[in-house]
Amino acid sequence: MEFKYITMLAGLLLMAFLLYKELRRPNRTRLTWRILANIVAVGCFVLLIVPIRYETHIKQNPDEIILLTEGTNPDSVAKLKGKKYALPPVDLKNEKATILPDLSYFLKSNPNIRKINIYGYGLSKGDLENLKGYQANFHPSVSPSGIIAVNWPDKLKTSDVLNVQGTYQNTGNQAVKLVLRGLGKSVDSTTIEAGSNKTFSFKTNPKQTGKAVYELITLQKNDTLAKEPVPVQVGDQSPMKVLILASFPDFEYKFLKNWLYENQYPLAFRSQISKNKYASDFLNMDSVNLNQINAGALKKFDILIVDEEELAAISPIERSAVNIAVNNGMGLLIRTTGLKPLTTLSAQSNRFEIPALKGKMLNLILTEDNFRLSPLPVEQGLFLRPSQNEQSVITDVSGKTLLSSNINGYGKILISSISSTYNWILSGEKTDYAAYWSKVLSSAARKRTDIQSVNIIPQFPVVNQRMRIITDLSVAGKSPGLTIDDVQLHPRQNMELPFQWDALYWPQNVGWTNLQVNQAIEQLYIYRKNDWQALKYQQTLNDTHRFIKNLSRNTNKIQLTDTVIIEEVSVWWFFAGFLLAAAFLWYEARILAV
Amino acid sequence: MLKTEGRNWIRNLRIKWISFYLIGTIASALGIALLLSVTGFYLLHLPAWIFAVIFTIVAAILLFSKPVWRSTDFDVSRFLNNRYPELEESADLLLQSETELSALQQLQRNKIENVISNLAQPKEPFKRLYFGLVILAVALLISFGITKIPQINKTGSITEETKNPVSAIKENIPAEISTFSATIIPPAYTGKGERKQKQFTISAETGATVNWKIETNIGIKKLKLIFNDNEIAQPKALNTAHTQWAFSKTIHKSGFYQLDLDGKKSDLYQIEVIPDLPVTIKITQPKQHTTIDIGQPQKFNLNVSLTDDYGINDAFISATLASGKGEGVSFTEKKLSFNTNFDNKKNITLGKLIDLKSLGMKPGDELYFFIKAMDNHGQSSRSDVYFVSIVDTAELMSLAGMTNGVNLVPEYFRSERQIIIDTEKLLKEQSTLPATTFKTRSNDLGIDQKLLRLRYGQFLGEENETEIGGDHDDHDEHAGHKSGEEKFGDVSAITDKYAHKHDIAEDATFFEPEMKAQLKAVLTEMWNAELRLRTYKPQEALPYEYKALRLLKDLQQKSRAYVAKTTVKVSALKPEKRLSGELDKITQPVQKMTFEQKEKRTAYLKTVLALLENRKTGKNFNEQDRFLLGETEKYMIGAAADHPSTYLNALTSLRKLGEAGKPMPKDIDMVQQAIQKMINVEPAKPQAQNAVPASVLYQNYFNNLNKAGR
Repeated sequence: MEFKYITMLAGLLLMAFLLYKELRRPNRTRLTWRILANIVAVGCFVLLIVPIRYETHIKQNPDEIILLTEGTNPDSVAKLKGKKYALPPVDLKNEKATILPDLSYFLKSNPNIRKINIYGYGLSKGDLENLKGYQANFHPSVSPSGIIAVNWPDKLKTSDVLNVQGTYQNTGNQAVKLVLRGLGKSVDSTTIEAGSNKTFSFKTNPKQTGKAVYELITLQKNDTLAKEPVPVQVGDQSPMKVLILASFPDFEYKFLKNWLYENQYPLAFRSQISKNKYASDFLNMDSVNLNQINAGALKKFDILIVDEEELAAISPIERSAVNIAVNNGMGLLIRTTGLKPLTTLSAQSNRFEIPALKGKMLNLILTEDNFRLSPLPVEQGLFLRPSQNEQSVITDVSGKTLLSSNINGYGKILISSISSTYNWILSGEKTDYAAYWSKVLSSAARKRTDIQSVNIIPQFPVVNQRMRIITDLSVAGKSPGLTIDDVQLHPRQNMELPFQWDALYWPQNVGWTNLQVNQAIEQLYIYRKNDWQALKYQQTLNDTHRFIKNLSRNTNKIQLTDTVIIEEVSVWWFFAGFLLAAAFLWYEARILAV
Repeated sequence: MLKTEGRNWIRNLRIKWISFYLIGTIASALGIALLLSVTGFYLLHLPAWIFAVIFTIVAAILLFSKPVWRSTDFDVSRFLNNRYPELEESADLLLQSETELSALQQLQRNKIENVISNLAQPKEPFKRLYFGLVILAVALLISFGITKIPQINKTGSITEETKNPVSAIKENIPAEISTFSATIIPPAYTGKGERKQKQFTISAETGATVNWKIETNIGIKKLKLIFNDNEIAQPKALNTAHTQWAFSKTIHKSGFYQLDLDGKKSDLYQIEVIPDLPVTIKITQPKQHTTIDIGQPQKFNLNVSLTDDYGINDAFISATLASGKGEGVSFTEKKLSFNTNFDNKKNITLGKLIDLKSLGMKPGDELYFFIKAMDNHGQSSRSDVYFVSIVDTAELMSLAGMTNGVNLVPEYFRSERQIIIDTEKLLKEQSTLPATTFKTRSNDLGIDQKLLRLRYGQFLGEENETEIGGDHDDHDEHAGHKSGEEKFGDVSAITDKYAHKHDIAEDATFFEPEMKAQLKAVLTEMWNAELRLRTYKPQEALPYEYKALRLLKDLQQKSRAYVAKTTVKVSALKPEKRLSGELDKITQPVQKMTFEQKEKRTAYLKTVLALLENRKTGKNFNEQDRFLLGETEKYMIGAAADHPSTYLNALTSLRKLGEAGKPMPKDIDMVQQAIQKMINVEPAKPQAQNAVPASVLYQNYFNNLNKAGR
């Protein structure tokens, strides 16, 4: 303090002396300039010795960081102040940012950090977990352009339809063509207009047996924007076992019998000839005793097709055996012709009759698939009125139900008022016949319980990235043997569900990989890192948004502390001023004055 | 030497004679040979060197038939003596040596010698030359004309080809082949000219002959053409260097082929056959079922249009006449021609007036006919069968069907018949009756007809004289009643008062709609008949009367469709005895069958499809894969033989896959596409749904739910 004032005083004195000398000088030209130069020189000299300090305010919290994630726009980040950190995939040129190999490690090692500003597409769910308890801001990038949601069944049975559905987000200003391509040819396609979100649904019948990788290709004119793999497996399934009990043989049974026989389905067919006398056919299967229907016999079958008369004619013991079998999962299809239900099993749907119009064709619709079958030359008068807990499986064009389904225990009871479908075969519409009966039998038949099931998290396991394999076993308490890429995994048991086990793995190869669960082999498709990129970005965006929303609800806002920083004005400025002023004085005295 | 001047003259003449003769002969031989070989080359497609052979033969024949070179100077002098009297028969003196001659001969010789030098040259040698040249010129002209014939044909076919141009297919041709051509000679029935192409892919009409000419740039020991992968043909080498090859084959079936040059196989090339379609026949007149009523002319016009892709050769009507009734039906078949010249036209419209009377048709007979047409390839086609029948009036007038017990319909039928009988009687008596009587009787018949019509109208529920001109003036019965007893507040009564209620004519009776329609048609016919009768034209009324009667007859037949209940005695049922028979001797039939899928094709193809998909990543095929590919190739060869254009490229790709070390994605795509085409559309199959592994936990949950439900 003292020194400062002393120097200032000395400066003033020096200035006064100099000014006096100037005024007394005989040569009075350029006097004012000289006085000015003197003042500047002395002032600067003093300030050289006594530096100027000033205070500034900074809003930034010292405990706050900027986190750059994938998709960050470099231009928008350039203006930001503060410490910048980037997560590995980010590649920012001309931008200084510390690369974080692992976020959780970094946060643990810097416990003073309180606030995190996230830029780009955000963080994955796992990383977001680490941010709990922090204050976070999210500055999202523009939504990615591409397929942002997609789903398809990865395991199909022979003759099943592959249905690829999803959403395409087109943020560009040009229309985009989306093509599903597989097995050497384009299967289905759609166009997505510029700047729109559109759902798509592609259907195809995969014809191969085994694995295949379809491709979902995004085209803009002739440029391929993206090519995403759609792996699909088609496998054969052991056919369902069918039992038909007929009160009398008719064409409907005859054609159904032949059709099932030719498609190699095991089928037992019993039709009554006389009292307690039956004719029985055992097709594609060994013969069993069908004179008495009992639980043991029914256990062998997946579905029972019976007409109502026969169901009423069998003994009450047999009927209760049927009921128990249905309760345990067997399907039951009852064909009705009369208005009044004859048994309790078939009494579920209300029936009503409309006088049949002569010569009118019956147009049937598979309700679930909204698939319209070709018309049947049948005059249909009997319809069903499904109750609240019944599902109508087949309706006619006007929406009147003809076949309804009802859950009974583990199994299902289907009631049909359609009397003759064989007309399809007679008129050569074999595909319609097949579609009808496939739908009916599939929705009724006993469900196959898998011995084990495998789930993979995330949806698209990527090579060299973590994936979680979750297996459900039918037997609890026994650890499954998991082997993948010849690596034995050691699964962990779920604490609440004892039959569920999971394991973590980092797959090594792209493409189909065998996962061995006990003795069975499951096929997994491991994706490349860049597959389904837009979808992943959208997912992290959504996850981060949701996380931030929950976070802001839970944590109070921490006040920004206003820190003051004292800054010094650089002495070089004063030195320069002193030098200039002194130089002027010297120059004036030596050259201009002479 | 003046002495030899005459001799020289003669010798010169001889030389000139012989040379001219030879030139003329050769020229004519040339002409004849040219004519023959041009015909052979262009019309019979013989090779070009045939000309040389024909020429030598013709020239030899012509030359040896008259060996002119043997003629001597003496022959010439003899000719000169004949030709020129000035020589005084002594030209031969000039040829003899002077020493041998007598004095007189010497003298004569000297005289002649002076004469002969002044003689004009004889024209005979030129004649032969001119003759030969004329033959040559004519032959040239004719052969030029012949060469133009295929071009004329071609212009026709070219215009067709430009309409639907054959897309040029890019082909890989083995490097050994320098030039090649394929000449397609369509069979005669197509009327098309031959065409030559520089492409191995062949599209030819059925029965066409294809000539391949292949020239290689190096000698090849063995060139083979392999058809459909199983039929090997060896072309002939045309030269000793083995660079030119020719082969010809008649094509009847689509397929493919490839070249084998000393074991090196080329690409596959397709052969597509354009089939000859049979004649399409379209009958525009008459309708499929025609009935000729009484009064209508017993003839009809037949209009047919025939179309074929190359030409129609013949067409005729095959008619069958059915006459008689019941068991006594007899059939006579007749063939009627159209009496026109077909001329191999592609389109022809034919018309023929068929007179049924001249065919011998009587009322009640039926004529069935169809048209048969043949195209110029001998393929025949026939139309549907058409029916023409003449109504039998005698049958209508007969009482059969009305006299038997079942007579539900009232007696009105007799009335229409009666009207017909009366009309006919009136017509018969027309000449004897005065005009006024005729008119009144005709009018009376009209009134009868009207009454009858009204009676039928009642069956339809019509209240008045049908709706045709029916009036509503006379409704006294409606106006009178119910006026006194009005009920207060009875809405329906009030509305009744103002409404004009009739039975609705449509619903008044118990007839079915179809029957009603027919009844209406009857009424229309009756109305028409009445109109004619009232305007004194009974002759014109007759057809309508007959038609009305025929329709009534039909109606009657229809109402006979059901049989009235008759009393039947049935023994009473004993319910306690029902289903109580002994059944122990009845065995229960049991049938057991297992369906065996004989065809492994689809299963193979489906597996291969997945295998190929798997190999897209670039992995090589192993032994087992190659076996599968081999199986697929067998199936694909079969498919390609039938549809070469669809499967040929895929087959090539499949072979490439089998040979190459590393599979190319492009080839895999091609093969996959083809396999998907080969697998037919698969109908849906019922598949059981899958459920998650059933654990005890779920079971317990379900059981607890069940319990809670109760």
